Amino acid sequence: MEIRTTRFGPVEFRPEDVILFEEGLLGLAECREWVLLADVQNDAVAWMQSLDQPEVALAVVSPRRFVPAFQMRVASRELQPLELDGTASAQVLVIVSKTDRLVTLNLKAPLVINLSRRIGRQVITNGELPVQYEITGTPAPTKKIA
Amino acid sequence: MLVLSRQRDESIIIGDHIVVTIVDIRGDKVRLGIDAPTEIPVHRREVYEAIQRENLRAAHLDTSDTRELGAAPARSKPSAG
Repeated sequence: MEIRTTRFGPVEFRPEDVILFEEGLLGLAECREWVLLADVQNDAVAWMQSLDQPEVALAVVSPRRFVPAFQMRVASRELQPLELDGTASAQVLVIVSKTDRLVTLNLKAPLVINLSRRIGRQVITNGELPVQYEITGTPAPTKKIA
Repeated sequence: MLVLSRQRDESIIIGDHIVVTIVDIRGDKVRLGIDAPTEIPVHRREVYEAIQRENLRAAHLDTSDTRELGAAPARSKPSAG
């Protein structure tokens, strides 16, 4: 299957690559089907490409890469629709954005993906994590992401 | 907006599956208990709206914007994982 994206041109994918966000994302409720595009030359950033709206894509990173002390505290009801059984099958990604000057990460509302079931959800974490965590400097040395 | 008056421990029901209960009233602060299916997100409004705005801002990023996080994507393919 193929989608003609605005950033990456035509992108080929298999049905099993699709990740379903049943509720979409906040403010993007109609964007329910996504594929995660890896950059073969840079494993720091990946792109969530919407299959519903080709112009919509979100840069995502593994939060611990840039925020080593990152810990996600989230109500169990937020995770329940993902049917996770143990954290091993979950992938946590945070969305990259930009203010006027700096790249920022949304630590308040990460994306949690059940890799084996290919379903995801944007969850809102408890506590005072920032929606715009400013990134300065370079990421930690490469660690393989689960 | 539908406006209803409730006292402590009283509830309202929205549709068939959402129940909002006044758990406590103290001064100008009200504690609400919400029973809803877990598929339905329930959050403080200002937090929800802040995240909506941030998602929409992030959706405008291009590959050049993430260059400083590492090399910009030169080829893109679906992630195996």
